Parts: sequence; structure tokens; C-alpha cells
Amino acid sequence: MITRIAFRNVFRNRRRSAITLLVIVFGAVGLILFGGYKQQTFRGLRESTIRSRLGHLQIYKRGFATNEAKKPLEFGLDNVAELRRAVESDKRVKMTAAQITLMGLISNGDKSETFLATAVEPRKEKQMNGQRLVSGTDLPENESDAVILGRGLATSMHAKPGDYLTLMTTTSTGSLNAADVRVAGIFMSGIKEYDDRAVKMPIAGAQQLLQTKKVERLIVMLNETDDTQAVRADLARRLPGIEMKDWSELASFYHQVVLLYNGIFGFLGLIVSAIVVFSVANTILMSIFERTREIGTLMAMGTTRARVARMFLAEGLVIGVLGAIAGVVGGALLANLINRGHIMLPPPPGYTVGYPLRMLMSPSILITAAVISIVTATISSIVPALKASRMKIVDALGHI
Amino acid sequence: MLIRLTNVNKSYRLGRVDVRALDGIDLDVDRGDFLALAGPSGSGKTTLLNLIGCIDKPNGGRVVIDGVDVTAVPLHRLAATRRDALGYIFQTFNLIPVLTAYENVEYPLLLQNVGRRERDARVRRWLDQVDIAAQAKQRPDQLSGGQRQRVAIARAMVAEPKLVLADEPTANLDQATAAHILDLLAKLNSETGTTFVFATHDPAVMSRAHRCVRLRDGRIAEEARALVA
Repeated sequence: MITRIAFRNVFRNRRRSAITLLVIVFGAVGLILFGGYKQQTFRGLRESTIRSRLGHLQIYKRGFATNEAKKPLEFGLDNVAELRRAVESDKRVKMTAAQITLMGLISNGDKSETFLATAVEPRKEKQMNGQRLVSGTDLPENESDAVILGRGLATSMHAKPGDYLTLMTTTSTGSLNAADVRVAGIFMSGIKEYDDRAVKMPIAGAQQLLQTKKVERLIVMLNETDDTQAVRADLARRLPGIEMKDWSELASFYHQVVLLYNGIFGFLGLIVSAIVVFSVANTILMSIFERTREIGTLMAMGTTRARVARMFLAEGLVIGVLGAIAGVVGGALLANLINRGHIMLPPPPGYTVGYPLRMLMSPSILITAAVISIVTATISSIVPALKASRMKIVDALGHI
Repeated sequence: MLIRLTNVNKSYRLGRVDVRALDGIDLDVDRGDFLALAGPSGSGKTTLLNLIGCIDKPNGGRVVIDGVDVTAVPLHRLAATRRDALGYIFQTFNLIPVLTAYENVEYPLLLQNVGRRERDARVRRWLDQVDIAAQAKQRPDQLSGGQRQRVAIARAMVAEPKLVLADEPTANLDQATAAHILDLLAKLNSETGTTFVFATHDPAVMSRAHRCVRLRDGRIAEEARALVA
């Protein structure tokens, strides 16, 4: 009977209830859209960070992270072919890619700049596809002296595909070495600061320049991101003498974005909840004011205070449930519409390319929005419900 | 003896003035009584009805209902007494607007956790009794004043209380409807033995009462018993 009364009372003043429901629906839709956008951004950023740069796991020689290297590649991996075979024997591993990072000076004869080079295996690098070629070609597979430059660095060096530049760095034995390299192409990653210093070169060229056979790290790419920890544990058991980091330990930018978005989402949720609380509380308080004599009558007939309170809590709950249903349906439809609209967003700070506005619709987002709507609406009816239950019967009956 | 009031006083504050609504009331009501509390506005009859109905507390004196001193118990603890022993009929009917006539009558039985089948049988019996069964599915705003008061009477009687309190039950009804309602209440009183106490200034109600207690300025001014009770 309590639910029946609550349900009918919600529809007693239809206009007022409709406005309250609209507030809850807007709140729920807002939560769903922002939640979907947030999840999509997290997933997109996570996967692009993993697939284009970090890999799921990075394997180093034991001691790499804890010891300060006095010379380049002092803690490099010696026998990478054997290590690679062992790692790739796991079916969850999609591929491995060796890498070396080095820094030094790059010169066009007139001008020098510092560079930050990543030496890669060109064939593997193509699969990771982390950058966009602006001009020229990608790194050729069998040409150790070819490089591709970040767009900012190419501009600074006045370099175009086919030009020759000189790279100078410290070798693994501590001496200085230089090599002439041919600019095969120019790329952009989307991050300006990186593109202003970035060089990509083949592993063979870097090993010649550094006068070593070692590589710095082996990047492990998995088929599924969810397998990361399991594969890490298996490799740690099977391969002594190495140490590993997973993508999460390396992706500081990803974590900063997650933290920022969660903060914004939390704040937004608080604002939405506050609006819903005030709106629902106002509706129920108005309803109580109008129904004071009715409350007096119910209590005169022997309805307990607790039952009266439950009656108004049930009204908050009914409003919350109706709002949540409409909000979830509306939010999911709107998100679907936006996803089909292929809307492009402007580049975020530090990036040079925009990205599509997409919302991930996972059950957890819809459930969270629904639960927040229902709980908030119910909570906001607590104070009015207590107020109603504590009315003096005589005063309530005499209320006009 | 169903009700015993001993030296009951009640005053309340109206703005900055203390108003003495009841002043040393002594009153006994027997089981099966059909009693009218009469008097002009402000004489204290509604206040007295509220005290008997356990919805207000006196400032002094004792109110004993069916052997229980209700003045010793906080009002919110008297919900069970109101639910099981008392029925209310209001001047303005006070039906729950969102419930149908049937549901309004059913409500007190839900409070008593009466089982579904028995509940249905009792609700239908009482709707028949007050001749409103045809309007069972209608909500109060679809009923006339007389029909609403019949629903209110069925609601007051359905839980089979010992005592029914009626505050000006005919004040909002035309003369003919009021007479019908009074006939109905008198019939219920004689058939079920339920005690009825009215607060009224309607001479028709007073003339039908077995006993009429007149109040003036919060005191019992006069008491009269009908020759045929």
C-alpha cells in the first residue's frame, strides 16, 4: 500500500513531479554522457599509449631501474634473440620489439640541436603505428643510416626527406662518436614537445653509433591488455635475470588524465546530486505542506511515525526510479546519437591533432548513473519524511 | 466503563495568550453510548474529542480508555491504541484522495496486517453496510459529500473499534443527507454496540444522541439523557 500511495502521489501534482523528474533525467543523462566520454577517453588513451609507445610490458636487464648507469647501455640486454624466443613462446604475446633510447646532438652543418632518439626495429615499429608521417617514407628495413625526424625538429634543422644530417653521442664505452644519417621521412606524434626533439632510427644504426650489440629494452605487446599481470607473473617466474615494468607503471600521463577526469567527474556528480537533492526535497516538502491534514488523518487512524516516514521515503524512491529509468534510456540514446555523429573535438593542450567525440556505453556507467539518481532522490526525501513523521496530529488535522 | 476522564485540564497558547480550553472535566462514557458533546464554537468539545481520541494530551488530569491511562503514554506510542480501539469520522471526511473508496476502507486493515482474503471480505461487507459498494472503485473527488461520509464511516468501522469519534459529522452535509448519515450511525450503534462520541452543534445530532453533554468555556455546563436510549 505504501508503494501504491507513493506512486499515485507522485502523479498527483503532475507538473511539479514532471519538473523534478526532468531534473533527475538531466542529471542522469549528464552522468552517463560524461561517464561514457571518460571511459572512452581512458580506454583510447590507454590503448594508444600501450600500442604506440610503451607496450604492455617492458623487459630490462636486472638492475636497470635500481642502478645509475655510468655509460649508455651499461645495463642493456645482451642476448635479445634468446630472450625474445622465450617471451614469444607465450601464446598471449602478440609480438616483441627491441628498443634503445639515446640522446645527443644533431647537426645540419650550420646549426646543432639536442635530439632524443628512439632506435627501433622498423618492421615492428610499423605495426605499433604510433606516429603519422608528414612527408617522405617510413624507416626502411635494411638501411641502418636512415632516420625519420619529428616535425618540429625537422623544421628547426631545415631538413627535408633526402637530406643528410649528423648525429653525435657518447658510446657505450664513454667515448664520443658521430654518424651521418639520411632523412627518410618526417613524422608527428601529436605531442609538440616530443616532435621538437624526436628522432627515430633503426636499432642497427643506433648500435653502430653506440658501438654495442646490446639493446636497452624489449617491449612486449600482448593480444589483450587484461592479460598484462598474468603474463608478467609468468615471465618473472620463467626468466630470472630480467626485470619488468608494465604499462601502468610507465604511463604517468595516462594516470594524470585519469586522476583529472575522475576529479572532474566526481565534482560534476556532486553538483548533479546537490541539484537533485534540492529539487526532490523541495517537491516532497511542498507535497507534505499540501498534505498536512492527510498526514494528520493517517496518524489519527493509527499509522505509526515510521510508516509515515516510509511513505515519503517511498515517494522519493519512486521519483528516483522513474527518473533513473528515463535518464538511462535518454542517456544511452543520446550517447548513441553522438557516437553516430562523428563529431571531432579540438586538440587537447600539448597535442596538435583533434580526436573524435565518442562515448563508451558500458553497463557499469548506466548502473552507476541509475544508482546515483535513485539513492540521491531517496536521500533527499529523508528530511521531509522525518518532518512529516514528527508532526503533531492535532496541528496537522487543524491545518488548512 | 469505556472512557473515564478525571479532572482533565487543557490549555494552549494562542499568540501570547494562554487559552484554557478545558477546565476540570469529569466524564464517564459507558460502552455502547451514543453521546453528543455539544456547545458553541470554542467551548472545548473538539479538544475533548482529541483527548479521548489519543491525538492530544491534557495538561492535567487523567484519561482512561478501556482501562488504560493514556495520559501516561507518549502520543506516538499510542498509534496501536488509535489503530485498534478507535475510529475517526471527520467533518471534512478526510479521505485519502489518491485511494479509491475500497482502498480507503481497506487502509485500517492493512495497518492491522489483516490477511488479504479476510480484508477483502470485511471491506466489501462494510461498503455494503454503508450502501456505497457501487462506488467502490471511485476516488473521493468522484463522490458526493454524503457518499464520502459513508466511506469515512465504513473506514472508521471496518477495524471494529470499541469507540468511534465523530467531529461534526454532519456539518458539511445537506439536511437530508445528514439525516441519512445519522440514521446509519444510530443503526451501527444499536447493531454493533460500538460506542459513538460526537462533537457537534447540530441540533439534529443532539436530538438523536442518547446522552448530550453541553460544554461552555471548557466546563461541563449541563448533561441530558434521552428518555429512550
